[in-house]
Amino acid sequence: MPEQTNTRSGAPPWGIFPAGSSLLRDLPIVFAGLAVFYGIISFAHYGIGPMNTEAEIQLAPSALPKYALFSVIRIAAAYALSLAFTFVYGYIAAYNKRAEKLMIPLLDTLQSIPVLSFLPGVMVAMVSLFPTRQLGVELGSILLIFTGQVWNMTFSFYSSLKSIPREMREAAKIYHFSWFQRFIQMELPYASIGLIWNSMMSVAGGWFFLMACEMFVLGDRDLRLPGLGSYLQTAANEGNTRAILAGLATMILVIVLMDQLIWRPVIAWSQKFKVEQVEAVETPTSPILDLLRRSHLLSLASSWTTVPAREAFMQHFARMHKERRKAGKHSAVIWYLIGATCAGALAYGVVRMLRMVAGVSWPEWRAIFIGAGATFLRVEFVLLVAALWTVPVGIYIGLRPRLSAIAQPIAQIAASVPATALFPIILLLLIRLGGGLGIGALVLLLLGTQWYILFNVIAGASAIPTDLKEVCQIFKLSKGERWRKLFLPAVFPFLVTGFVTASGGAWNASIVAEYFHFHGETISTVGLGAVISDATNRGNFDMLLAATIVMALMVVTINRLVWRRLYALASTKYKLET
Amino acid sequence: MAMSDHNKVLELISQENWEAAAHAMERLDPSEVADLLQKLPFEQQQNIFGRFQVDFAARVVGHFPYYHQYVLLHSRGPEAMRAIVDKIDADDRMRFFDELPEEAWQHLMDELSGAALPHPQRPQVQPVSKPKLPGPSAVVEPIIEARQVQKFYEQPDGNRIEVIAPTNLTLEPETIIALLGPSGSGKSTLLRMLSGLSSPSSGQVLWHGKPLAETHPNVAIVFQSFALFPWLTVCENVEAPLAALGMAKQEREQRATQALDSVGLKGFENAYPKELSGGMKQRVGFARALAVEPEVLFMDEPFSALDVLTAENLRSELMELWMAKKIPTKSIFLVTHNIEEAVLLADRVIVLGRNPARIRANFRVNIPQPRERSAAEFTVYVDYIYKVMTQPQADIAFPSVPGKPPKTKFQMLPHARPGGIAGLLELLNDRGGREDLYHLADELRMEVDDLLPTVDAAVLLGFATLEAGDMIITPEGQAFGNATISAQKPLFREAALTHVTLLQQMKSALDRKSDHALPLEFFRDVLDEHFSQEEVEQQIETALNWGRYAEIFTYDSEDERLILHDNGLSEKAQTERG
Ligand SMILES: Nc1ncnc2c1ncn2[C@@H]1O[C@H](COP(=O)(O)OP(=O)(O)O)[C@@H](O)[C@H]1O
Ligand SMILES: [Mg+2]
Repeated sequence: MPEQTNTRSGAPPWGIFPAGSSLLRDLPIVFAGLAVFYGIISFAHYGIGPMNTEAEIQLAPSALPKYALFSVIRIAAAYALSLAFTFVYGYIAAYNKRAEKLMIPLLDTLQSIPVLSFLPGVMVAMVSLFPTRQLGVELGSILLIFTGQVWNMTFSFYSSLKSIPREMREAAKIYHFSWFQRFIQMELPYASIGLIWNSMMSVAGGWFFLMACEMFVLGDRDLRLPGLGSYLQTAANEGNTRAILAGLATMILVIVLMDQLIWRPVIAWSQKFKVEQVEAVETPTSPILDLLRRSHLLSLASSWTTVPAREAFMQHFARMHKERRKAGKHSAVIWYLIGATCAGALAYGVVRMLRMVAGVSWPEWRAIFIGAGATFLRVEFVLLVAALWTVPVGIYIGLRPRLSAIAQPIAQIAASVPATALFPIILLLLIRLGGGLGIGALVLLLLGTQWYILFNVIAGASAIPTDLKEVCQIFKLSKGERWRKLFLPAVFPFLVTGFVTASGGAWNASIVAEYFHFHGETISTVGLGAVISDATNRGNFDMLLAATIVMALMVVTINRLVWRRLYALASTKYKLET
Repeated sequence: MAMSDHNKVLELISQENWEAAAHAMERLDPSEVADLLQKLPFEQQQNIFGRFQVDFAARVVGHFPYYHQYVLLHSRGPEAMRAIVDKIDADDRMRFFDELPEEAWQHLMDELSGAALPHPQRPQVQPVSKPKLPGPSAVVEPIIEARQVQKFYEQPDGNRIEVIAPTNLTLEPETIIALLGPSGSGKSTLLRMLSGLSSPSSGQVLWHGKPLAETHPNVAIVFQSFALFPWLTVCENVEAPLAALGMAKQEREQRATQALDSVGLKGFENAYPKELSGGMKQRVGFARALAVEPEVLFMDEPFSALDVLTAENLRSELMELWMAKKIPTKSIFLVTHNIEEAVLLADRVIVLGRNPARIRANFRVNIPQPRERSAAEFTVYVDYIYKVMTQPQADIAFPSVPGKPPKTKFQMLPHARPGGIAGLLELLNDRGGREDLYHLADELRMEVDDLLPTVDAAVLLGFATLEAGDMIITPEGQAFGNATISAQKPLFREAALTHVTLLQQMKSALDRKSDHALPLEFFRDVLDEHFSQEEVEQQIETALNWGRYAEIFTYDSEDERLILHDNGLSEKAQTERG
């Protein structure tokens, strides 16, 4: 805590100019700053260059750092966009009762639409916006990554806003907090922990779909953007195992680095936003965060920039708020207009969509429904297999604190490695063993979804109160009884949470799992994901739309009928109150 | 003629010529004099009453409620008091003695027989009072005036539930008002409307005579849950409202430090709320409220979340600050469900009934500060409030809205447990079957909030009756209190089915179904029309609790279904067979 008082110490800022030793400590930060700067410059230089959509992807390992950098920037840009969208959408949905009724079901539906279904629309729009610049395709790719990241973040922010305690909100109101002050002193801190966890999940999801978002066929055009995803895709196409491994290693390295340099410090820092009555015994820590906190350079910089800026904003908005209060409420006409326009556009979109779907022929519908059935069976089978091995293993690990301390970070890294990147290797193996994409798709889905379940089971098992375990010992329950009476019921709510995430993820992943470019040819298996991928490739928009609607409907229906009910059951009957 | 006398009296009072005012009053009708006196601050009442002839004083004093009578009598010396009591009309005197609680009566008897020393708490009549309020205080302009404010809450199913019935209320300067009422009665709702947090459904709240929406009152609220921002330090928490006012950083810090100093939190400026104990957190809440120098300080059960000792401490510190005028606040509006707290702190007490909330009593507490719980006057007031709160609400006649038939009220179950009822009756039995309520509360160490529902339940079930703040056991109650645990069930069952409408309805509905089972939802729908959502859940919980204890039905929590108990089934089967 002493380092936090730095910015407030009475000495003038120039009096504490970094001395020799602290300059050394600040060096990594200086270098990091320069590197980020260089990266942005080179990306911008490339971005405003002329359109070159069929960039030759070099498979030489020396090209990897550049590609990794480009992919990271793309994901970061998409993330920034997601954050902005989250704030605006979540804010309106949480505070406008009428808008909420429309916006939340809409969000629920959008969330269940697979990323790649957005591809053609987004790309066509972006390329026509910037017909000659690389920027257009780049923006399209970023938007695609955005569609994969944004929904759960928005949900998390919205539900955090809704759950701010009534009295806390009333305190902000009675003391006349301005919009800005309320946001930075109440809403953002309150929502931050949920938002950070969901950001981590979202960015991991971004890696999963990176290959699809950087290289795709759109009608007769073969679009590819320089990046790690397209590198892996190209390597897979050529069957170049060494390049695949090199690309994979780079990707894992980038993921681990991001985890250590960004997420861990952020999580450790966010602990102060926990709404808890007493201080927790164990809190996450991060050496990087300690380094940043100890840095004189940073505290100096913030005392010159962010601190006065925040102060100025606060004052400005406080004045505005006061004037607004004096002037009375301004008319809501503008808002009605905006609302009406949005509703109108939405209605128009629905009509257009229905007319388009009407053009799908009977055999095409048949293919869609057969595909839907196949994918349904595949997804449920994968969930079953995943549960079969993760539940016992997860409980075993979760019950042993020392083991879970080792297993958690490993599992985390394993989970953040996109299964899509491993896919080429697995497929090579399978083909050598005489299997096909039918099994391959199952393996890929399993790789993509089992981790969510494993995490949750471990968390559930380690949350079992000690006294309950002791009771089992006292009553000398047999092993089977212990599992039936304590462990399984105790992890049930966590298991359901894992299933919800895994199920949605699996449906989405089916698009990349059931249809694959490999060795210059396309392999596919029966499934709704394959139908969607195929329609995208052929530029058959009617079919794409119809298949997407079917998939979204299925996901929403399964959520409502199965998971939500199980969830309600879990949160009432099987809740372990501590 | 009488009118001019009246005006003359008012003028003399405004000139603070007590001697002449008392003389002039002696020419008026005693009941008119009593009305006039009740409108004056208590010191002035004492000044005038102290100067009345003994005969006249005896005629006037009978027009006051007994608690007021008690303190007025004590404003005369022992000799004069004895003389006045002698002269009071015999019937009035009998009633007065009857109404006095045990201790006060005993104390008075001692005093009248000349055995007791002069009362330690008795205020000495001062020949000339310090000029305290400017002008005639009978016409002090109120800070807040609520005119016919009413509040409805819309239920999700569209029903509108009236939470606050049209209510008039004023808050005068230099007073502490305590708003008392059972939990869920609408105290917080009323506070929200008076402070401007929410607007009334109908009626008006005036601040200094102007509608609340047009003025921008400077108010502060101290919340039961503290409502601090856990991510801000103590100092930043106190500064936040000041920043909202657009105050510069330096001034802000200075004011915050000062406020923290006054509540004894010097040295904790940089601590986070979660590092503090409950009492210290509430101190921060007070500092935050005082720092904005509010005109009216609102407090919503500020001591309820604290343990008894901490609460007592904080209360007396607050009173010290208030009495010494160390806080700039003009008035305090305190919401509480603790009767003793109200009598300890408030100049005026307002008792609220429930469903919908209506003012059941509104009176001054004429005891000088600091107050002692052991003083006889204190007991008089506590006893009186118990009496008001336990008086059946239907007894109070309210004019119904013309043209609108009064809605018949659905019987409301008090939230008590059968075990608690049995315990209370047992104690009552031990005490000879009749006891003052505040004695019972003391004995059982129960907060009013626990005790009153239990008392209400005993009355509802016909186990006891209430008479002027005393609880009297009935023969059924005696049987129930004396029965063994297994014998209590059938007695409870009989009482419940005779007196409790909801349980009767539940039983007959279950009787009529062929499978003798019904979803709970069915009854929830019935209750939805009469109660707010929160209250519906509580009604259901209590009904389930009683019904299961009485073996009227069993409840399957998994399917949320009620099933007629075997008792009922076999009875029915037998009658069918027979
Ligand atoms: N925002 C709300 N919406 C619907 N009902 C409410 C709301 N706030 C309070 N109520 C209902 O109004 C009644 C009075 O509540 P409240 O004023 O909080 O009572 P108290 O402060 O006396 O405990 C309760 O029955 C509660 O359920
Ligand atoms: Mg309340």
